[in-house]
Amino acid sequence: MLYFKGINPTIAMHLHLADYLVIFVYFLFVIAVGFIIKKRIKSSNDFLNSNRSIPLWITSLAFISANLGAQEVLGMVASGAKYGIMTVHFYWVGAIFAMVFLGVFMMPFYYGSKARSVPEYLSMRFDEKTRALNAITFAVMTVFSSGISLYALAKLLEVILHWNFDLCIWLAAGIVMVYTFLGGLTSAVYNEVLQFFLIVLGLSPLVIVALHDAGGWSSIQANLQPELTHAWKYMDKAENNPLGVNFMSLIFGLGFVMSFGYWCTDFLVVQRAMIAKNMSEAQRTPIIAAIPKMFMPLIVVLPGIIAIALMQSALQSKGYAIPLDDNGGINYTMTLPSLIAHYYPTGLLGVGITALIASFMSGMAGNVTAFNSVFTYDIYQSYFVKNKSDQHYLTVGKLITLFGILFSIGTAYVAASFNNINDFLQLVFSFVNGPLFATFLLGMFWKRTTGHGAFWGLMIGTLAAAATHGLTIAEGKGGWIAPMYEISSGMGQAFIVAAFSWIANFFSTIIVSLFTKPKPDEALRGLVYSLTEKVYAKETKWYLRAGPLALILLIITIALNIIFF
Amino acid sequence: MFEKFNQLSFVIGVFFITVAIILIAGYFLSSALHFDINLYTGLGMMVFGLVMVNIKE
Repeated sequence: MLYFKGINPTIAMHLHLADYLVIFVYFLFVIAVGFIIKKRIKSSNDFLNSNRSIPLWITSLAFISANLGAQEVLGMVASGAKYGIMTVHFYWVGAIFAMVFLGVFMMPFYYGSKARSVPEYLSMRFDEKTRALNAITFAVMTVFSSGISLYALAKLLEVILHWNFDLCIWLAAGIVMVYTFLGGLTSAVYNEVLQFFLIVLGLSPLVIVALHDAGGWSSIQANLQPELTHAWKYMDKAENNPLGVNFMSLIFGLGFVMSFGYWCTDFLVVQRAMIAKNMSEAQRTPIIAAIPKMFMPLIVVLPGIIAIALMQSALQSKGYAIPLDDNGGINYTMTLPSLIAHYYPTGLLGVGITALIASFMSGMAGNVTAFNSVFTYDIYQSYFVKNKSDQHYLTVGKLITLFGILFSIGTAYVAASFNNINDFLQLVFSFVNGPLFATFLLGMFWKRTTGHGAFWGLMIGTLAAAATHGLTIAEGKGGWIAPMYEISSGMGQAFIVAAFSWIANFFSTIIVSLFTKPKPDEALRGLVYSLTEKVYAKETKWYLRAGPLALILLIITIALNIIFF
Repeated sequence: MFEKFNQLSFVIGVFFITVAIILIAGYFLSSALHFDINLYTGLGMMVFGLVMVNIKE
């Protein structure tokens, strides 16, 4: 949870006319995109699925932009300051491999099955109860995440700009509501691309000037402890590095379970690939997206490392410091806002603030559009009102968008009143997400997996996650059943919880499947690897094929890990 | 002209050109904005905006 309390008042920024003008122009353009898209919306498929007509470059940038919310931008800069260059593991270990796997191996099933959502794929592959479990938990998670994102935005603007909290909530939610209500998913996706460029171009000057001020990378390396500037060298033991995890936990917990669980099964991001024009582009969407993702640490990790370097004694003359929290410790959440306040003058300050606002709105809109698709198709149409006209579902989709935004506003106010509820919700979400990938992996690559196996595997995996958290304690958290085992860091605990939940799901799904009746082969064609005819890429040029692109990406990723070893 | 607003690259291009104009004009017209970083960022955004505007989707 982003932490905003106890901010050093010196971080307060004062905007001038030019800054407000940049923010106003941004609001104007995102709303205009909604109006431009509105005339293309004729059916529920247009509104909720973009009619599978979005070009590759847009789906690819939207794919990473949907993940470029508050957690990514503020959170990763904060992690960069706290953990140093090891934060890049969330990209080079915890994202690229999973994105490549999604593109090469999983998109053929998601896209080829013609499912409109990830829960709908689960209903085709398994059964209705597995779909319902996934759809309901996903819908609840997205709408709460949207609200928490909204709360974080309003709180940040209140703290650094002294803007009215209520005004921030209603203004940001109102703008997201206008463009998602008018243009649905297409409008959200288009704005995500605009937001992506704004975040990259808006924060790039900050990286350049701050890096220059710190004396370049060699000066940073000279001034920081070596654990903060080496990605792998100190990963042999958990106690040797600031992350508090060893390389085995990192690779299995983050690099496999958490990473594949998020990038390969979370409909919020997978939806961006499912709206591509054709199979080839759907496959290439996460692979092309992996290219900017690979270099995103330059924008969101490097500033944190620079910030902590600027606080070292040799660079204290630069006059920069991350604000402190109530307890006198460094408030890492405020690293990025404090860098913006320190380096950006009037004009560019407006650009920087707009980039922050864009990241929050991008995260919120992504959640809302994924929520309305799942709620309309997988809950309302599947279990409540079937066989109505398409116009009916279009209207419902639009109303659900309004409901989703209003619910997010409500969640934001709940979050403001009960700060602990955010931590609690995120903990519960991690219990649900942890085991998910085992279900998809078995479902797509082992035809013997049954609906009962998938359902009970998910339930047991979730319970295993909760039990592991209840039996371990790290940084004072967990251990609510019995603190039997102490872990040195909360991050390490999260990896271990995810790993145990995945293993529990994997084996319980296999065991239950072996004792229950599988679907006949005919019902699984196009849904399972061994029963699906392999479609070879039609593109004649090698660089337009998913396989060679994936291979190049993996080589570059491994090279980056070696360079920053 | 207005047909072009149906292209996302054109919309993004116009947005960045607008922001670039605010930064560059501000640099020359207002002492409050007279910082080199505003000028260079504005020029960078202007180039990016012009490229995006001229991309054919």
